[in-house]
Amino acid sequence: MASNAELIKVTGLCKHFYNGDLKALDGVDYSINKGDVVVVIGPSGSGKSTFLRCLNLLEVPTSGEVVFKGVDITKKYYTDKNGNKVRLNIDEHRRKMGMVFQHFNLFPHMTVLANMTLAPIKVKKMDKETAEKKARKLLERVGLADRADAYPIQLSGGQKQRVAIVRALMMEPEVMLFDEPTSALDPEMVGEVLEVIRELAQSGMTMVIVTHEMGFAKEVGKKIVFMADGKIVETGSPQEIFDNPKSPRLQDFLRKVL
Amino acid sequence: MFTSAGFAKTWQYIQLFKEGLICTLSLSALTVIFGFIFALILALMRMSKIKPLSWFATCYVELFRATPMLVQLFIVYYVVFAKASLPNFKLFGFIRFERFFPGVVALSMNSGAYLSEIIRAGIQSIDHGQTEASRSLGLSSRQTLFDIVLPQAIKNILPAIANEFVTIIKESSICYTIGVQEIMYAVASIKGATYRIAEPLLIATAVYFCLTFPTSKIIAYFERRMSRGFKR
Ligand SMILES: Nc1ncnc2c1ncn2[C@@H]1O[C@H](COP(=O)(O)OP(=O)(O)O)[C@@H](O)[C@H]1O
Ligand SMILES: [Mg+2]
Repeated sequence: MASNAELIKVTGLCKHFYNGDLKALDGVDYSINKGDVVVVIGPSGSGKSTFLRCLNLLEVPTSGEVVFKGVDITKKYYTDKNGNKVRLNIDEHRRKMGMVFQHFNLFPHMTVLANMTLAPIKVKKMDKETAEKKARKLLERVGLADRADAYPIQLSGGQKQRVAIVRALMMEPEVMLFDEPTSALDPEMVGEVLEVIRELAQSGMTMVIVTHEMGFAKEVGKKIVFMADGKIVETGSPQEIFDNPKSPRLQDFLRKVL
Repeated sequence: MFTSAGFAKTWQYIQLFKEGLICTLSLSALTVIFGFIFALILALMRMSKIKPLSWFATCYVELFRATPMLVQLFIVYYVVFAKASLPNFKLFGFIRFERFFPGVVALSMNSGAYLSEIIRAGIQSIDHGQTEASRSLGLSSRQTLFDIVLPQAIKNILPAIANEFVTIIKESSICYTIGVQEIMYAVASIKGATYRIAEPLLIATAVYFCLTFPTSKIIAYFERRMSRGFKR
């Protein structure tokens, strides 16, 4: 049975490409509870990004369910509390899930402030003044208070990614999805971004993080998910996964990366 | 070929060239504006998930790119607007609207087909990550198009649109065949009145050159500046 704390429940999730010749996800079951910090690891091409992108339907699953707060967001319709059949508006659900990409994806034609306030103003109908005040506060929190009026092109990679994180936070999401947030960064900038994510984890934010930073995974992750060939091969606490791996695939993977 | 007497005669009708210039510029400007709006609609239709819309747009674009401008102009003027009695007032006191308007329509329809391909390429050149970031924030596909993708795409294709304006200035000369009083019409009128053709043609050449050459140089200048700005 679903507990109250369950935020996302994934069952039988499959994503096929090329008419099924490529099974990027091949039957994934997993539950994410409120406050969880889930770190997804695994070799390249194992389906980590596809899994993450299916959670907010950037990738439409071939089959399977993604139940977010009691609603299966893979279906066109759902039944609300009063038993009425309602058409699902995916945008409403996406607003509650923040996503951070490997390549930042800031909007280059807008200032940092405009990047951050666009969605709150457009979809939450927040007034501009309130949104900007909120944005400046968040920028201060990540040490970028003086960059509010800069354009993305004027920022370093680490600064861009910090802006991308606070841009997502502007919508006050219930879960944050990170897809290799430090992979496109120069080594000296990895730390500043991980620091922001670490703080976010400590603040109790529910997060799913795909990363190659094993040290960080071990430190911040409360649950580790190991994927290979489109399947979840092993899950467990950082101790279980890193100190006591059971499956040969995971043992092999850890030998290569550690 | 050229004689000073010929220039003297032509010069008496210089007013016709002034009118021709005004007419050519209005024709081209209106064509770029309507052509662009039309092209945007075509490009969006062509990329639409609704199959009949994208088929229609594809057929339209291919048809207009595969047939001569002159044929399109004659069909619009002699067939489409044959029975429609357009109001026959005069723009700026001399441009006959009932000829000018079909000219604008035909040029816009033709230019729209070409511009829509430019716009489509511009939209497709925008990194898909932009769309994903926007959608992940909860913006709708429509908001994503108008707030994120189009502003970037249009900025990238601005030079191409400006170049289309230059092309239209030249191509609009074809409207002389339906009696629109643009620059070539002035040449024909002067030839009728003076029996001189070389001198009016030389003047027409000079006028077209003065219109298009500086314009394309200015566009090239801004194009260089913009690309530099992006690399900064
Ligand atoms: N849009 C797509 N089209 C075709 N194949 C894809 C697409 N997205 C991912 N794949 C394939 O699916 C598999 C899993 O990819 P991905 O989820 O990106 O892996 P990971 O993030 O673990 O490296 C890979 O083989 C990849 O090539
Ligand atoms: Mg990936």
